Formats: sequence, structure tokens, C-alpha cells
Amino acid sequence: MATPSTMVSAPAGASPADDISPALLPVVALLSSTLTYLTNWFNSIPGSPILLRYIRSSYQNDPWRSLLEVLLVAFALRTLLARRTRGEGEGKGLRLSEKEIDELVDDWQPVPLVGPMSDLEKRTLESVPVIYGQNGAHARVAPGGKPVLNLAVYDWLGFVENDEIKNVAIDTLHEYGVGSCGPMGFYGTIDVHTTFEQDVAEFLNVESAIIYAQGFSAVSSAIPAFAKRGDIIVADRGVNFAIHKGLQLARCTVRWYAHGDMKDLERVLASVDREIRRKGGRLTRRFIVTEGIFENDGMMSDLPKICELKKKYKYRLVLDESMSFGMVGAHGRGLTEHYGVPAEEVEILIGSMANALGAGGGFCAGSQHVTAHQRINSGASVFSAAIPAMHATVSSAAVKMMQSQPYLLTNLRANVLTFRQQLVKLEPSPNLIAPSSPNGGAETPFTNNKDALISIPSHPDSGLIHIFLVNPPDTLEEEENVLQEIVDECLANGVIITRARRLRGQESVEPEPSLKVCVSAMFSRKETEKAGKTLRDAIVKVCSKRR
Amino acid sequence: MPRTRSSKASSSASSVTGVPAASAPRNNLASQAGGSATARSTLLGVITRPRHSDAAISYDSSPHHPVDDEVSDQSTISSYASSIGTVNGSPPSDDELERMYKGYLEKPNVLTQSSYKHSEFGHCNNPNYRYTSQYNPAEPVTPEAEPLPPYYVLLTTYMSYTLLILLGHIRDFFGKKLYPSYYEHLMPRDGYAALNSDFDSFYIRRLKVRLDDCFSRPVTGVPGRTIMLLDRYTNDCRESFHLSGTQTRALNVSSYNYLGFASSTGGCADAVEETLKRYGPAGAATRHDAGTLDLHNQAEKLTARFVGSEAAMIVSMGFATNSTNIPALVEKGCLVISDEFNHASIRFGVRLSGASVRTFKHNDVHALEDLLRDCIAQGQPRTHRPWKKIVVIVEGLFSMEGTMVNLPAVIELKRRYKFYLYVDEAHSIGALGPNGRGVCDYFGVDPREIDILMGTFTKSFGAAGGYICGTKDLIDGLKVRSHAFCYAEAMSPPVLTQIIASMAAIMGIAPPLATPVDLDEDVSDSVSIWSRHQSFGPAPRQELPVWFSLPPNMANGTEGRERLRRLAFNSRYLSSGLRKLGFIVYGHRDSPIIPLLLYNPGKMGMFSRMMLNRLGPDKTPIAVVIVAYPATPLITSRVRFCLSASHTKTDIDLLLRACDEVGDILNLKFSSEGPHWPVDKVIASAEELVATTDLDLVQ
Ligand SMILES: Cc1ncc(COP(=O)(O)O)c(C=O)c1O
Repeated sequence: MATPSTMVSAPAGASPADDISPALLPVVALLSSTLTYLTNWFNSIPGSPILLRYIRSSYQNDPWRSLLEVLLVAFALRTLLARRTRGEGEGKGLRLSEKEIDELVDDWQPVPLVGPMSDLEKRTLESVPVIYGQNGAHARVAPGGKPVLNLAVYDWLGFVENDEIKNVAIDTLHEYGVGSCGPMGFYGTIDVHTTFEQDVAEFLNVESAIIYAQGFSAVSSAIPAFAKRGDIIVADRGVNFAIHKGLQLARCTVRWYAHGDMKDLERVLASVDREIRRKGGRLTRRFIVTEGIFENDGMMSDLPKICELKKKYKYRLVLDESMSFGMVGAHGRGLTEHYGVPAEEVEILIGSMANALGAGGGFCAGSQHVTAHQRINSGASVFSAAIPAMHATVSSAAVKMMQSQPYLLTNLRANVLTFRQQLVKLEPSPNLIAPSSPNGGAETPFTNNKDALISIPSHPDSGLIHIFLVNPPDTLEEEENVLQEIVDECLANGVIITRARRLRGQESVEPEPSLKVCVSAMFSRKETEKAGKTLRDAIVKVCSKRR
Repeated sequence: MPRTRSSKASSSASSVTGVPAASAPRNNLASQAGGSATARSTLLGVITRPRHSDAAISYDSSPHHPVDDEVSDQSTISSYASSIGTVNGSPPSDDELERMYKGYLEKPNVLTQSSYKHSEFGHCNNPNYRYTSQYNPAEPVTPEAEPLPPYYVLLTTYMSYTLLILLGHIRDFFGKKLYPSYYEHLMPRDGYAALNSDFDSFYIRRLKVRLDDCFSRPVTGVPGRTIMLLDRYTNDCRESFHLSGTQTRALNVSSYNYLGFASSTGGCADAVEETLKRYGPAGAATRHDAGTLDLHNQAEKLTARFVGSEAAMIVSMGFATNSTNIPALVEKGCLVISDEFNHASIRFGVRLSGASVRTFKHNDVHALEDLLRDCIAQGQPRTHRPWKKIVVIVEGLFSMEGTMVNLPAVIELKRRYKFYLYVDEAHSIGALGPNGRGVCDYFGVDPREIDILMGTFTKSFGAAGGYICGTKDLIDGLKVRSHAFCYAEAMSPPVLTQIIASMAAIMGIAPPLATPVDLDEDVSDSVSIWSRHQSFGPAPRQELPVWFSLPPNMANGTEGRERLRRLAFNSRYLSSGLRKLGFIVYGHRDSPIIPLLLYNPGKMGMFSRMMLNRLGPDKTPIAVVIVAYPATPLITSRVRFCLSASHTKTDIDLLLRACDEVGDILNLKFSSEGPHWPVDKVIASAEELVATTDLDLVQ
């Protein structure tokens, strides 16, 4: 960048040739000989006279103009070279005549824009339930129909239906309207956004937070904001799709460890460490990326162990609490509260405002530096309009209620327990539910239930429950069909659950098909029992039919 | 001054033909039929659009001071009172200006019955200040040559950056020695690399921080015609800011509120309130789980109808609409050809998809064709296998440039080269075209010619989120393959209703809820629904929610039409006015995004501050957006105005005065084209400037 000024000042000083002091003469001589040499060299390039004439005529022999143009070109080159996304395939290809190109153009036939849908995809689309009116723990699947129990929404604490929260939203509407009509940088920083950021930071007891307009985009944009080429990320193999996308965008080195396996994590960290030592080189940023409650199976990360390892190997932790925020912990602060780990230990903590908080959007909490960096460098924050004001006020209100009404979380846990008890007979081992064990007993080796139909790796405290078939059919497609049958059977009996939808073919690690159940604090004990029983009966019915 | 000037006082507006004021519209009809082409005929631009370049008449309307008993309905045209103008040609004195603009942002100077606050949606019922946004072959879509500043401007700009960078390095050099604690988080520390190294953050710490008081200004309330800024101060050279507790109301020419639907009152807000009671505030789940509401399906149907294609899908964030759907469309072995100035969300999406990318020079159809020929002929890199498919991605209206894609030319290329066309209409949907349906409407192109029409609801509709429209097969395929449908939250009910309501207001609802308008009463009403192009029809009542209702003038489409035409006038007026004042302005004159070039980095901050703390006689603060590298090329820093239908002509006058004032002080009038006009002349010739197809012809 220093070049422009030096290049500009040189000719300016040298041009009045008559009064040069003798001391400078050798310098001038050198300059002029260099110039002559350069001119000769330039003239020897084929086509140079044309270029010269072009420059002359286009700028009426205005040397300043040409100089500037040269600078511009130099700058353009610089930016071109410095650009992060360079087009591929530039450079020399085959030489073809215009006629040949025309023929090639005529011959070329593109494939259709969207490929045909597979049967599975068709069924996925057909089986999407439509809710009429208020969504929440009780919902109608037909206009004017009877409400059914809805166990397919991430509404752990029932804020979606809360009247107090509705009033907050209406008040906000009459003060702020709906849209924010601008990104945070350009008059989109509404005071209620800042208030929510402070509220959630205080709630988690961290320095600050930043809002994103969508939960999915929060994590997939926050990761590439920090991790650049050359950095190292060690990630759990079972992380959700949004994190996978974030990792893909970050273009750093990604190492995987076996899902939920702390020993494997340590092994990977140690091997990376050895590798770095061997290679030497620059110190790069290193992150461990994992989830609180895993979206793909409801398991919980062993946060204390991860924190211990990250300190030992000097990694930073990116923890996606989209599911666990508002679900676990005495007040719903998530994993950090559950394990009693201070939230400050998690450098980058991501939560969702759409799931538990019953609004929309996501947030990232951390130190002042972490959030300030994202405000300028995170694509989804810089290049997107701020969330509607009412989502922020609703989230603030929800956070306040979590703080003041811990019974909501007690209810949630009680409901989860009740629900799981209904299913326990179908699981491999009857005494799996021990709320104290941190890792849900997912891999308890022994099986004393010969008739087990399902296995549930989800943590006993998790409102998000994934149910896997123990003896699945041979093909993935058939398995999804069986699961869909169970879903349909439940719906016929007044309970909405869902088959975990996947983007087959686009996932980095294909998850096994499963049923997904979301328990809410809003159900009464009886309703929860009914839901559990309905699901159990449906599983038994469908599975016995299959045998 | 215009040759055909005739000055009229507001009360004698119709005295030329001697008919009472109440029948003013018919009067226009008559005068137009009589062949005297006037700018006033813009009122009837729906039927015929003024194509006359030199015969426009403009008016000097006298300064109007509101009379309390003069109350008019927004749709009747009884006065020219919404303008504050010059007194018979002589420029207003400073005292007059100060008086005119006192309390101006909140108090309307015309009394109308309106459900909107003047501070959110300006009251302006002068039918002359309307225009129809439509393609006119007499005006080139893309200018032949980009206007260039004098070279000393480029030179000083480079020098400024050099100086700033040098200074920054010097400060860093000494700073690291003197204040190590400040650099602590930028340096590797006990085995951790810095999250953000001093090198990576140099530009932000040493250059951007100088302008930080102009970015992320905290606001409160509705981002409508005006915006309420929360005043803040800094004690540490803009490292941190503190709220001082006071507030400033400023004219808002920054928000993407093109049609003025961001509002806390009125038909849309009422509908949203009803939804909040019926549906609650949240989407609660992903679309594929139990997150699909009946409202989603209704909004998708309406969007498809609005855009003019077969089917639509809605995503809860505009950015994610691009970034999560492009990967579902293209994969490895496909080629994406992208305009160099495409939005970051598109680049995100393409990067995620794994497809190859090539970029072409902004809006250059010839460059696009050359690239297409080259790519098709060469095939995939190394293997030279033919591409599976080629998708060309362009934006309808470019958000930093104000330029429009040359759609007819691109479609011509599409026929020859068989690529798929993806048009991001984030800014153009709602803001362009006689029916507000975006670039297709503007150019009169059938939207079904474009394979993928993407847009956002953040802008013209005052909501949030985005959509993709296309054939039913495309949308169904996308719905099962889109990341957003499978894993991201569904759009929330209040936002959906805001979309439905604002869209229905632009389209009009059929059958109309109001009694059919009487032809004799008001011509502008009757043309609102029935004269539209087939594919841009009204919203069918039965497809909207049963409980849904809008006030009559929204439901019959009058208000939507008024908004479209106000926006078109405002855009064209400001763009033309700034050019006539001598500024370098990019973009199309019909674009509501108007970038004014500043070049020097030092002028950016000064411009923004001087607009907020005005030096002029009227002192009305104006909130503007400045954009610099990396959002624009380094050299072409700019201020970007985003106009809205909620602005009145007086607001634009004010803005022109302010720009004139600041432009003189900062030396920004670089344009080499034509004589630079005084601002009063620009304001007096507003209608003429808007009506003309060639600014050079107006003398
Ligand atoms: C061209 C384009 N696409 C997409 C977006 C993203 O839209 P949103 O702000 O709704 O996320 C924008 C917004 O600035 C845009 O300009």
C-alpha cells in the first residue's frame, strides 16, 4: 500500500530537470539509464507500440492520467490476487475457433435444474403435517378440528402459547412495527436488540452476546468468522447439520472424534499436538466444536471433561446450545448450569431464540472480543437485516420467565421422566434411566431385554428424544417407511411426533433414521402418559406387523 | 429555469381550465387528451406514461401553512399543500427555511385523514408527485460509461488511504510498546493464537474505527420515514460508546423500507396484532416437523401469485434463502456464473454447494456472453467434460450500485446458451415495476422465463425472511432438499401476516371488500385493479386467511398503487436532482437505491456527521448510510440513500438542500456533465426532471 505515494512523488520531484543540484546527478544518471533500458526492453515486447499508442490516444498524452491508470491496474491486480474466492479453471484451455464454439454451444444439453424426487423424498413432502391456528403443545391438524398433543415442536417451556408473552409482542408491534428494514450496521441496531443481548449475557453470566436473524445461520456463520484456513478444528462426529456447514465454510483443517467419546477426543487432540510439534510452524487457532444436547440424537456432551481437555491442549470451545439452552439446567441456562461449569469457560456459546425462547433467531454469547469480532466479520450478521424487534422483546421476556419460574424446568424434567418410563419396557435395558449419570447410559453394554424394539440414546434430562429401531429393516428406505408408519399411527391416535427428517445425500455423516419426540413442560402428567403410551402402542403394533 | 414555467398558487391550481378543484383528475385527463403534455399526467401513468422529454410543465407551489379546517382524504386531491416550495421563483431565505422546517419531521403540513403517523409515513397528497416505474427503451438500462471523477480526487483518495495505513502502522508500532494491554487479545498468549490477530484486524482497528460513530447507530421505534436515534458519546476515540439518554429524530433515508410498510399503525399492524392473538409470536419448529402452519401455505401461495410464478417457498431469513438453497440446486460438476457484485449470501451459498464459480464484470452482458462461450466450450477444468448445468446468478437491483440487471438481454442469452437463470430480487421486489412485482414487471418480461426468482421480505414488505419462486417441480424439489426446510426454524406468524397484508395491499384483493369505485369519482381508483396485466392480478380473497381483513383503501389496491407511484417519483426525483446538482451518482434513475460517490475516506465520516448535525438553516437531522471497502471497491466510497414511498416531496427537497450544502463544503460536485444547477432550480423543476428521459435535455 505504500507504493502509490512513492510512485507519485518520484516523478513529481524529478520533472523540473533544469535546477538539479550536482550531488544528485549520479542518481539522475542512473535513473535515466534505467529508464532507457526499460524503454528498450518495453519496445522489444511484441505489440508494445500498439499499447503505447492506445495509452497515448486514450488520455491525450496526459501522463498523470496514465500514471493513475497504472496505479489502478496495479491495485486491481493486487485485489485480484488477494481475493479469497478465486474463480477456478482460469488459465489456458483448448484453442477453439468461433465456429467450433458455436457448435459446442448448440450441442451442449444441461441436465434438468432439479432432479426427479425419490419416493422417500416424495413421502417426506407429503407427510409434513399442517397446523391450523396456534402452534404449541396442543395443536389442530385440521381446520376447526380437535386439538391433539403435539410432540414435534421445540417448545420446551411452552412460551409459544404464553399469553403474557403475546402481550409483550403486541406492545412491541405498536411501538416498533414488524421488520427492522436494515442490517445491524445500518440503523438496524434497535434498542431492544441490545437489551436482549444484555439480558442473555447477564443470564448466562458472560460479558456479551450478539443476535443473529436465524438460529441455523448463527452457528454456520459464527464458525467461519473465527476459523480460517490453516486453523484446526476438532469436532464431534455427531454434530448437527448447521455446524457441518459452518465447518465447510471455514475451510480449516477438521479432525473428527467419535461421537461423545472423550477418550477418542483426547486421542485426537494428542495426535494433532504431536503433528504440530513435528511440523513446527506458526501457532494457529484451535477449536473444539460440539453441541450441548445433540440435535441428531439427544445425547449430552460431557462438558467438564471437554473443558479439562481443552485447557490441557489449549483449545477454545465452540458449544452449540441451540437445543439445550432453555432445556437443561435448573433455570434452563443449558449445559453450563447443568454441570456447574461457568459459562465463561466456553469461549463461543451459541443458542437459539427460536426453540426454547419461542421467538426467532439465534445468539452467540462470549467475551466482548468474541462478539465485537462477529459484528464485523460474520457474514450472516453483517449482510442480513436485523431480526424483528418483537422477537427480541419476546426473547427477553422469556429469559426473565426462565429466571423467575424455575418450576417450568422442573415440570419439563418430570414430563421427560414420565414419558421415558412409558417406553422403558421396549428398551434393551430396563434400568437405564438414572438421571444422575451424565451420559444417559447410551452405550450400556448389557442387554437383558430380549424383546427390545427400540433404543434411546438421548440423555434422561433431554426434552429432545430420538428413538432408534433395534432391529431395523435392511434398507434405509424401508426403515424410514416403518418409522413413518409409527408416526402416522400416533397421529391417528391424537399425538403428533415426527420422523427425524434428513437431507440424504447432503449430510457429511449420514445419521441413522430415527423418531424424534419433543417433550414440553406444558403437558399435564396425564397427557404425557397418554403420549408415551400412544407411542409405545404404535411401535409395538407396527413392529409386530412387520415380523 | 424551465421555459414553460407557469406559477400557480395552491388555491388556484385548477384555475387554468376553470373547473372546481374536486374534479382535478378529470381535468388532467382532458388536458392530456388535448395534447398538452404535462408532467401532471403522471397521475395517469398507469394508462399512458409520459414519454415527452421537453414539454413538461412544472409548478412553483407557494409555501403553504396548514389551515386547521382543511382536512382532506388521502385519495382526494384538493391541494398542493404537501409541498414547501419556492416563492414564485425567488429562493427562500434562511429565515423562511428555518420556519418551514420547524418541527417538520413530526407535524404534517397537510392535514389528511390517515391511520399513519406522519413521522412513519409522510402525508403527501399532491398527485403531481407520482410516477410509474417502468422500462422505457429511450433510457439505457446500463450507462455507456461510468462517470469518472477528476483525477486529483483519485489521487488524493489513494494518498488518504496510504496516509491512514502508514499512521496506523506507526500507531501500532508505538502502541505495542506503550500500551501492551490494549494489544493483549490480538497477540498469541500462553499457547493460544489470537482469535483475531493484530494483522487481520488492522483495517478495522485503524481505519474503520475512525468512522465508527457513523455505523451501528442505535435506534428505537419504527424505521419509517423518520427514525429515532439514541444519542451516544465516546470517551476513548470511538473504541466504545455510551448512551447519553437523549434522542434525536432524523429523516431516514437509510432503511430498506421501500414501500413504507414498516409501521406501527394502520392495516398491516392491525392484521399482525390479530395474528399474534391467534397464533402467538413464534414458528416453534422446523417446517418439516410440525412447524408448517396454514399461514405458511397461504403466504406461499400469495407470494407465487404476487411474483407471477407457479409455486413459492418461504424461508425465515433472507440471507439463508440464498445460502441454504443454492447448495440444493447445484453441486460439484455444475458451474455458477455470478455477477462480480453479487451479495455475500449468494457467495456463501455457492461456496457451500461445491460448484465451480466464475464471475463476470458487473452488469456487462458482453462479458457474460464471452464467459459463457468460453465455459461451455472448455467444459469442466482439466477433464473438459461438459458441465452438468450452468446457473447464472444476478441481482435484480444491486444494493450498493443502484444498477438494474439488463434482463431482456440476459434472457436473450439464456435462449442461446441454455443456462438456468437465478435472479435475486431482494431489493427490486416491491420496489420496481408498475405493479411492484420487481424487474420482470419493470421490463415487461414474463416471470416464468426466469427459472429461479429469489427475493426477500425484509425490504419492501417491512417484514423479514425470503422466498424462492419457480415451477412447482422446482419448489417441491427444493422443499425436500433445502437446509432451511429441514433444519432451520419456520417463519413466525406475525412476520407471515405482515407479508400477506403488505402484499395484498399492493395487489388489491378481489373481489374487493369495498364497494366498487365509482368511475366518476376518482379515476386513479378504478384503474387500480382491473387494468393490470393478466399475470399480475389481484389477491383472491379465498386464498387469504378467513379472519384477515384490511381497511378499504388497502383492500382495493389504491393505497398500494399510491405507494408504488410515490416511491417511483421520489427515486427518480432524487437521482435526477443530485445529478443536476453536479454530484456523481451511480445507478439507474428508477432505482430507489441511490449511491452518491464520495471517494475520499475522510469525507465519508464528515458527510455522515454533517447530515446528522446540519449546518444549514433548517437543522433537520438526516440519517444516512456510508459504505466503503470491502462492501465497495476501495476507491469508490459512497453514501447510499434508500428512498421510500413514505417520503414526501418536501423530504426529498430537504435532502437535496442538505446534500447541496454539504457537497459544497466537502467539494463533492465532481460531475463533468452539464452545468451544475443551484438547488432551488432543481427543486422547482422536480416534475420536469422526473418526466424527462434524458437529463441533458432539461436546461
Ligand atoms: C441481494 C441480497 N440478497 C439477500 C439479502 C439478505 O436478505 P436479509 O437481509 O433478509 O437476510 C440481501 C440483503 O441485504 C441482499 O441485498
